[in-house]
Amino acid sequence: MLSLRSIEKSYPLAGGQLPVLKGIDLIIEQGEMVAIMGSSGSGKSTLLNVLGLLDNFDAGSYHLDDVDMSELSERQAARYRSRFLGFVFQSFNLIAFKSALENVALPLFYQKIPRRERQKRALAMLERMGIADRAHHLPSELSGGQKQRVAMARALITTPRVILADEPTGALDSVTSNEVMDVLREVNSTGITVIIVTHEADIAARCDRTIRLKDGRIIEDGNSSEVVEPTAHGISPIS
Amino acid sequence: MIFSRELWIEIGHTVIANPLRTALTGLSVGLGIFILVVMQGLGFGLQNGVQQDFGDEASNSLWIRTNRTTLPFRGRQANRSIELRNADKEILTEKLFETPLHSARRMLWGSTIQAENEEGRFAVVGVNEDYDQLESIPLVSGRWLHQEDVAQSAKVCVIGQTIVDDLFKKKNPIGEYIRLRNVTFRVIGTFSRSGSRWTNSMALIPITTLQRVFEGADQVGRVIVSTGDRTVEEASAMASMADGALRTRHAVHPDDQRAVRVEDNNEEFAMYQRIFMGIRLFIWVIGGFTLFAGAIGVANIMSIVVKERTVEIGVRKALGATSSSIVILIVVEAIALTSISGILGMIAGVLTLEFVAPFAEHDYFSNPAVNLNVTITALGVLVLSGALSGLAPALRAVRIRPIEALRYE
Repeated sequence: MLSLRSIEKSYPLAGGQLPVLKGIDLIIEQGEMVAIMGSSGSGKSTLLNVLGLLDNFDAGSYHLDDVDMSELSERQAARYRSRFLGFVFQSFNLIAFKSALENVALPLFYQKIPRRERQKRALAMLERMGIADRAHHLPSELSGGQKQRVAMARALITTPRVILADEPTGALDSVTSNEVMDVLREVNSTGITVIIVTHEADIAARCDRTIRLKDGRIIEDGNSSEVVEPTAHGISPIS
Repeated sequence: MIFSRELWIEIGHTVIANPLRTALTGLSVGLGIFILVVMQGLGFGLQNGVQQDFGDEASNSLWIRTNRTTLPFRGRQANRSIELRNADKEILTEKLFETPLHSARRMLWGSTIQAENEEGRFAVVGVNEDYDQLESIPLVSGRWLHQEDVAQSAKVCVIGQTIVDDLFKKKNPIGEYIRLRNVTFRVIGTFSRSGSRWTNSMALIPITTLQRVFEGADQVGRVIVSTGDRTVEEASAMASMADGALRTRHAVHPDDQRAVRVEDNNEEFAMYQRIFMGIRLFIWVIGGFTLFAGAIGVANIMSIVVKERTVEIGVRKALGATSSSIVILIVVEAIALTSISGILGMIAGVLTLEFVAPFAEHDYFSNPAVNLNVTITALGVLVLSGALSGLAPALRAVRIRPIEALRYE
């Protein structure tokens, strides 16, 4: 369970501080599939980064399974990222000089898994993602959809408790976006918590729960069917 | 952790995946070490050459010789022949100053030497028993001339390797009889000086024998005296005394530079020492600047490399890398790159010297050896600078939060 209480976060500006998160209270249970929506600058990505221990916060508390994340040392935070969290980024963030297989296997390097075992597991994960035939290709030789599948394989290879995806479909066409969401749904069905930051209502609609942020505050939190407004096509994009 | 195979595989990936960066870093370090090694080798070659040339004579000796006068003096005309004789040598070595070693040397050029059916033209040189030490002549077999040989004007000789090779082929010459200018002498020893065909073409006999058998006179040609453990100043004073005494005895004008010449090897040696010190200093300064330039090059490249890899560092941190694991990765990569490049530069430098050395042998250039200690120290300096230049930006990079690294442009 992820639990945030009164989280505040500001970025320093030349003239002072720019508050980005203003007293966020949030609980996400294990196995939930949550969309975080909001307009640009609403704080949704910052919230995801705080949840992923990629960024710190100024005030409040963050507990992951009753462990206070604000108390963690740099090394402990790295260990949590390695063991419990998986990241999927909009721009994939694959390491350019490593093949798809090596990219997927990289998180296991930091868990000190032997090389042979790493590669075996990475190949199995790529097979699960349906791109085993691209295992030895560099990221530059893959399509956007394939890159995102590699990124998801990399996020899943450590069997994390939580997948944090920041605009995972932002750089993909609608068909590929749907495929990515299918994978995330499948992942979620295995009990892994999935938290997706998106500004696309279609994507949010495929999650169980949607949290809407505005100016650093949660303004809506509920079932996606209630929070996300229906449109002529089914679901309206968020403004 | 730095001995972990996994780490090295990871480094190998990075290095191979970035050939330009690898090549530039390698070139910067390798070239620095290469230049240092070659310059050192050339400096040593020059020093060896001059020292070898000088080494034929003891550095603590005076060489005294005479010639025709160039200036009239005390009613005597110029162009008068001045001859050094036994009496001059006795005055110098027994009355004027104390010397641990001394010898006369008189040469008879183009002397026919015969051994059984072989013969050749060589130099017959009359010397005293101390001559081998004053000229640093290495004995190969047999014995050197003894005091008794000189005192008794014995017909014995010590012959150089060229005479041995030409007249005796592979036969052992010790105890054999040879004819020097048609006079029979017994060979008592042989000598060989590396690379000096001129010295090796001499048959050395007692000076007294040469005077009595071949000349019937008491000329000594040259007098060589050791200055012992005198300082350069004391040796210089000794040279002045010898010069003054001979000028007085033979009525030579004080400004006549040719008639009496006393060459002070101490001064010459000191001068060479100063030159070598200058050369060494020059090499160190140039080498130091080369190293400095190499270190700056490595620092620059490493700084750029780490900046380029900031997003990668962010990704690695997001995937569970600790700051220390990233710092170690970068620093070990820098150390590996600089070490391998430095060693390659060192090997290239040594091979270049090995290849060039045979073509560059000269009286004043020989055996351009490399000082391994200096080279390894230089390599150590570069590796250290590589490590430090990797460490500083790596520490800077890992200090920023993962999300900042991921967003780095």
